[in-house]
Amino acid sequence: MGEPLRVGAIDDDRFDRSKRVGWLDLGSVLRANVLMIGAGAIGNEVAKDLALSGFRRIKIVDMDHVVGSNLNRCLFFTPDDAKARTSKAEAVARGIRAQSPDAQPIAVVDRIENLGESVFGEADVVLGCLDNIQARIHANSHAYLAGRPYIDGGMEGFVGKVMVTRPPDGACLQCGMNRSHAKVASLRFSCTGKDVVFHEPRLAAEVTTTSIIAAIMVREALKVVSGKVEMCLSNAFYYDGQRNVSEEYEVAVDPNCTVHLKI
Amino acid sequence: MVVRIKVKNAETGATVEMELEMENTIDEVIESAATFWSKDMGAYVLRKGKKVLRGGSNLNDVGIRADDVLELIPDPEGG
Repeated sequence: MGEPLRVGAIDDDRFDRSKRVGWLDLGSVLRANVLMIGAGAIGNEVAKDLALSGFRRIKIVDMDHVVGSNLNRCLFFTPDDAKARTSKAEAVARGIRAQSPDAQPIAVVDRIENLGESVFGEADVVLGCLDNIQARIHANSHAYLAGRPYIDGGMEGFVGKVMVTRPPDGACLQCGMNRSHAKVASLRFSCTGKDVVFHEPRLAAEVTTTSIIAAIMVREALKVVSGKVEMCLSNAFYYDGQRNVSEEYEVAVDPNCTVHLKI
Repeated sequence: MVVRIKVKNAETGATVEMELEMENTIDEVIESAATFWSKDMGAYVLRKGKKVLRGGSNLNDVGIRADDVLELIPDPEGG
């Protein structure tokens, strides 16, 4: 015999409402290893949604620290973090722990490019919450080569995009890129003659679009770990909050995509 | 062969008519349209209907015809 039934016990169960979603495999969610790359605005919202959804094993990679201008859209950052220059990964890990005492977030204060290949292979799903094309290309290709689903989110102002890459099927993030992406990526790095400098543009950003993009990313992660890949986005999802538009665009496999050519 | 198409700016709704050779690439169309609208340096994609057009393809490859309307949409980089 298990625990005796108590009146009202159902409302004590943190995940009772999640269990009512027929296709959701909560056990897999609780056990899944998530790699979250980037702990900025999208990263904060993704972390919140992961923790509330039941994800516990979350590795957060970000080399940056909190600044005051992050505070218009980052739930887990405080003015004290900005003063203390707290690392973003650590602030997000702290936020996850506060929200979900059973969670075991691991903060890695480093660039994803400096970590070994195994960090991708250890994950059941990889979430790209990045702010530059170079890092996206790195995350996309390494997740693809490790055979791990990669969910990428991006935003600027009231426009956002989510793309799910599910190796070995379909297009990857890089298949949808063109010369304008290469140009932007090259501009972010400039050589001063002495060193290579990373230029971070100040892009328009606000929390409502961030929340929408992050929510879609975590919704797709729930489908991936629940084994419902047939329900996943198979194309790019675009959102434009100024025009009140959201739609899916088709991205075909690029036969010249260097990621696909490596397989 | 020369064709005239329209490119729509998704952010403003403005449209520009372009005269193109079938050998012109999607990358070239994106660059010309972004420059015409003096867009900030950023990544953009061009779509026809629901399909995102591959940058290196020429108009012939992707089946562009006279009077087609393509849409230039930003590919947001921020996070």
